[in-house]
Amino acid sequence: MGLALEFDGVSKEYRNFPSRRTVRALDGFTLQVEHGEIFGFLGPNGAGKSTAIHLAMGFMRPTHGKGRMLGEAFGHARTRRRVGFLAENVALYHRRAGRLVRFYGALNGMGGAQLSKRAAEVLEAVNLTDLASRNVGKYSRGMVQRLGLAQALVNDPELLILDEPTSALDPLSRVAVRELLIHMRSQGKTIFLSSHLLSEVELVCDRVAVLHRGRLVRQGKIADLLQSGEQVEVVARGIVPDAFAGAIAHDGVVSFSVPTKAQRQSLEQVWSLGGEVISVNPVRRSLEEIFLEVTGNGESSREKGAS
Amino acid sequence: MKPVLLIAVNFVREQRWPIFVLLLWVLLLAFLGLVTDIQREREDLLFIFKQVAIYVVLFSIFFGGSATYNERKSRRILAVLSKGVARRQYLSGLIIGVAISCCIYGFSLGLTGSWALGQAGFPVSQVWFLMACLIAACVLAGTVALMFSTFLNPFFAAGATGIVLGLPFVASRLFAPWAGYSVPVVALTGTIMRASYRHPGERDWFPVMLALGEIVIFWILGAWIFSRVDVAVAVE
Repeated sequence: MGLALEFDGVSKEYRNFPSRRTVRALDGFTLQVEHGEIFGFLGPNGAGKSTAIHLAMGFMRPTHGKGRMLGEAFGHARTRRRVGFLAENVALYHRRAGRLVRFYGALNGMGGAQLSKRAAEVLEAVNLTDLASRNVGKYSRGMVQRLGLAQALVNDPELLILDEPTSALDPLSRVAVRELLIHMRSQGKTIFLSSHLLSEVELVCDRVAVLHRGRLVRQGKIADLLQSGEQVEVVARGIVPDAFAGAIAHDGVVSFSVPTKAQRQSLEQVWSLGGEVISVNPVRRSLEEIFLEVTGNGESSREKGAS
Repeated sequence: MKPVLLIAVNFVREQRWPIFVLLLWVLLLAFLGLVTDIQREREDLLFIFKQVAIYVVLFSIFFGGSATYNERKSRRILAVLSKGVARRQYLSGLIIGVAISCCIYGFSLGLTGSWALGQAGFPVSQVWFLMACLIAACVLAGTVALMFSTFLNPFFAAGATGIVLGLPFVASRLFAPWAGYSVPVVALTGTIMRASYRHPGERDWFPVMLALGEIVIFWILGAWIFSRVDVAVAVE
């Protein structure tokens, strides 16, 4: 079984017509997304995330490089029948939601009772069944986004590409979408999720890639990335916090972080002070910390904090 | 074929208000046919008939020239092209949509013209021949505009379409009459404009057939260009 999505040295340049200025949105971008995983695609605004997604969907042609989606070159129309896509700031025709979902399903070659059944299912999944007969023009932004997700799901896609799917949603809807994505993964579907909501990505994604100025700057399994390996947190009791730099005491329990290399020395120090070690765990970093570090904003934000 | 027809019908639905406004002109002709003395005002009726016919040629350029631009600017094109729809199918859908819009108008004008002008002594069969000329001219003009709209904004697309449609007419006047048939929109509308009660005109199907052939050529050319443009970037 091949990869679900593959970028191979893809670059994309935009040329401004009057000034002839060239902007490189993607620069030698290489990435592989495997089947059955939820892949988080991160990056600051203007990093090239939407460009990469639009290239995969065939909305644009790469300046250099090539890519494959479900085994076919980008832009292959029949392959898109097996793909669901939700654009950032999704725009839909103003008509009744139920009809609109059936319209998008029919564009994928669906029809008859199968389409009606599936349209009802996806509207139910995004909690819009009661509003299916309302014109989309009267929908709120969050409802339009949920409907956008419904049209992406109507063909029961093998690969779901979502560009900021929860940006306009309230917390309840976000949880519902998150559960939906996890359910889809359990059915063997692949989800490529571009999002600025790092906590959400941390919760649902198996792997992530961080894009910065058109280049891939970090990728890996969430668990591996979050576990720094450089520091461990020691929790002990029966000692005073002053003995260790940065130690915090709470209800007689003292916790402090030390470099992994110095953990043995620290543990011996706890014991020599008559203390008892409760636990030693690798320090988990947040995805936000990693994001700020690899996009070069970590230093500047720390400097701002210091000043 | 199903996605093409869906896109075509959707296009007509999205253009329902301009089509409705056009149909009001047809209603005006019907109204005049009802309230005026047809025999006495027959020249005025024919003039309005011709005028209304020419409006739809201009509207078809407007329909075609703005079709892809509006979809790209609103980003609604992304949801459509994210489905199993090839670019050529999408463009085909728009061209068929333009054709359906023109046929609705042409058929309505044909019915009204047959009734109003028929009472005034104009051959009814010639009214329908003129409608065939009108629909062929409109669809060709709309297809040329649509081809330009794949890479130009509507203003420039309309201008470029005007040049492509107008140059054969200028060439026919300056050099050789046959040059007018190279893109026969002006030639076809000329057939309508020259029609009179005394000389309703000959039924020359050659420009109609030529227009149908050129629709296919511009359709292929437009699809080829459209398959190479970045649709996620709005045309400026």
